[in-house]
Parts: sequence; C-alpha cells; structure tokens
Amino acid sequence: MRWFRFAVLVLFVTVLQTSLADIITITKASIKPDLLLILLVFFATYCRGTEAIITSFVIGFAADIVGSAMGPQTLSFGIFGTLLADLNRVIAIKRMPYQSVVVFITGFLTAALAYFLTFLKAETAVSNAYAKLFWTPLYSAVIGPFLFLPVEWWMRIKKRRNYANSM
Amino acid sequence: MTRKRTRISGRMLFTWFVLAGLILFFAPQALTNKFQFAFAHIFRWPLSISRSISLAARAPSLRDIATRKEYEKLRTAHNQLQNHLANVIEQRAREHRKVEELSGLRNRLPLEGAKLVQGGISMAPDGSKSELIIDCGQVDGLVKGQFVIDDNSIIGAISDVSLYTAKVRLFTDLASKIAVKIARSNNGNMTYIANGVMYGDGKNSAKIPLLSKKLKIKTGDIVFVREKSGLLDAPIIAGKVAECSTDSKQPLLWDITVKPVSDMERLNNVTVIVMNPK
Repeated sequence: MRWFRFAVLVLFVTVLQTSLADIITITKASIKPDLLLILLVFFATYCRGTEAIITSFVIGFAADIVGSAMGPQTLSFGIFGTLLADLNRVIAIKRMPYQSVVVFITGFLTAALAYFLTFLKAETAVSNAYAKLFWTPLYSAVIGPFLFLPVEWWMRIKKRRNYANSM
Repeated sequence: MTRKRTRISGRMLFTWFVLAGLILFFAPQALTNKFQFAFAHIFRWPLSISRSISLAARAPSLRDIATRKEYEKLRTAHNQLQNHLANVIEQRAREHRKVEELSGLRNRLPLEGAKLVQGGISMAPDGSKSELIIDCGQVDGLVKGQFVIDDNSIIGAISDVSLYTAKVRLFTDLASKIAVKIARSNNGNMTYIANGVMYGDGKNSAKIPLLSKKLKIKTGDIVFVREKSGLLDAPIIAGKVAECSTDSKQPLLWDITVKPVSDMERLNNVTVIVMNPK
C-alpha cells in the first residue's frame, strides 16, 4: 500500500467533496455524489484485510471532518468498510454493475448508521435524511465505478484480487 | 541491531479503531469541532478557490439580457438596497418612538458602536446549507452567539468559535432558534404584527410556530430579528413570510414559513456584528 499517495488522495477528495462536488448537484435538494463513499468501497474491495480496516476508518474520519458531527461516520465507514472487505474475500466484486450495487448498499447502510448516531449525539440534527439515505448512494453508485479507474491509476493498484496475506 | 517487527491482528486493529471512533463520538462537540476548524484553516486556500469555482459554475446563464457578472452585481446591489431599506424604515420607526418617549435623552444610532468583521467562507460542512465555517475567529473578536449578516440581512449566528475560524449556524438549520418579530411596511411606515420564535426547518427556510390566527399575518410580511442585549441593538431583517396557512394539527394557529431574503446558496463572504469591540 502506498500510504503517502493514499493520504494525498483522501485530502484531495475531501476538499473536492466540500466544494467542487456542488457543481454536479442535481434537483432542488442539491443531491451530490459522496466521493468518500466511493473511495471507501474502492479500498475495501481492492485492499488486504488490515489495510482495508485502516483505510475505512481514515476515510470515515475525513467524512466526519466535512460532516456535521465528529464520530458517526468514522464508526459507520469503519464498520461497514471492514465488513465489505471481509465479504470481498468470499464474493468477488469485479464487474461494474456489481460495484454499483455495492456502492449503493454500502452507502445506504453507512448513511443509516451515521444518521442514527448523529441523531443520538448531535445538537445539530441531520436535515434531508431521505436524500442522504437513498439519493446520494444512488448517485454515487452511478458514477462510482467510473471513478475507480483514476483511483486505480493513482494508487498503482493492479486489477486483481489479492487473497494472499489477507486477514 | 535488528528491529523486531510486531504484527497486529486485523481483529485487534479493528477493535482499536472502533474504540477511537467511540471516543471521538462521545467527546464533547466543542472539542471535536477543533478538527473541522483545523482542516478549514489549513486548507483555506484550496477550499476558497474551489468554492469560488463552484459558485461561478452554478450561476445562471443570462446571455441576452446582461453578462453574468453584471447580473450578479446588479442582483446583489438590489438585494442589499431592499434589505437596507427595510432596516432603515424599521430603525427610523424605532428612533421615532424613542424620541417620542425619551425626548431630551442621549440616543445612540443602531450599530453605531459595532465593529463589522468580514469573513470568507472556508467550507460548508456536510454540504447541508445549514452551517458554514468562516475564516475569522477569536482573534477578530468573535464570540458565540454573535449575529452574522449578508446583503444587510441576518443569515444566522456564530455557534462555535476557535482562534482563527468560526462556525456559523444559519437560521434555516434545524437547531437554530431566534427571537423575531413580524412587521408590515405601509407607505414607508412599519407596523408590528407579532413577536415569535423562528426555528429552522433544515430545508432552506424556517418556521414561526404558536402564533394565533387572530393575528393578521400574510404572505410578504417582513421578519426582523429582535434586539438582543450585547449582540444586536436594533432589529435587522432576516426573511419574509413565504407561506401563511392554517396549522393542520392546531387549527387556531398559523403555520408560517419564512424564506431568507439573502441568497444563502451563493454566499461567499459574510459579516459578523461585534457589538462591543475591545
């Protein structure tokens, strides 16, 4: 794993998520793709066990930094990213349609857990929950597999399943 | 000497991270907000540049009438004048009442001693349009609770502050609660109709509940933020009544929706009112 490249990528995507992603918003509810969710699914499916755990929690932490409260996304991204990495050892997620489905399901589950945790914690309640639970994961699922290609190139990850040295 | 390499099992690593996440989750928000402030401060340049690009890209195209730049300039000027006019009318009426009541005593003009601190928006956490992080903080005299204006209208208040950055909670946020009064302008005279508390609804608007249907409120009435000791010494416009219908659950009350007069989706810079600068 190239950790320096990973750190640069996460920071770049976090900055992008807070600002430039607004350009591609759709509808009046300003639905935009969750780029960090796409990264989460990418690293959970392409990395080995321990690497997948670290990347999931780090991406979750980045999502919290640009979110409304600290903690909910770190936990939800970390837990579901790790589960996805475990699942990936049993079921191969190679083809684009499957990747889309995985992005959508992971997006729904992480958003649901994050929503519940934010509701427990925050002073600031989450607005527009329906869009966050359904439309954002759907939009991310549509564009996610296409973004896997530049991320693959940047991380110099070859398109193969790595069973060896897994958890 | 060879360094011994310790192997940590995946399960152990996962447990540690979950514990770290739980600590982060249960830590007070005032403490954890520092991460957001640090991120906004460190990456203020790329964030502000990309925000400007994003705002420019989303601006409406108006090829036949005026250039985009001209249109934006005119629209901003128009909004500012409208809001300024409403504030001036309100302030004049207030001053007039004061003169009538306390003639002979020294009177201070609204916001006369206030310092206006301008801050650029670093980022909008969660893209929720309900909170903003701005690039000015305690060093500029900001404290929690101070009101924030744009285009001469109140858009929210400072909800948390660090040394160089601050978080602004827009009045449309679900956690926002601001004392307001509803007024109507008739040929330059401002008539007060009701006092109430405005709650954000998280959908780029706010609600004023618990107002009796006996009050003659209608669409287009102006909503002013009420004076608050040490934070605001004159009412300032925040929004207009966009919808006024009978509350479906309590038919004796109004269901009032307030839309901000400032375009909150296009905010780039805001101004904080520091009433008693040191």
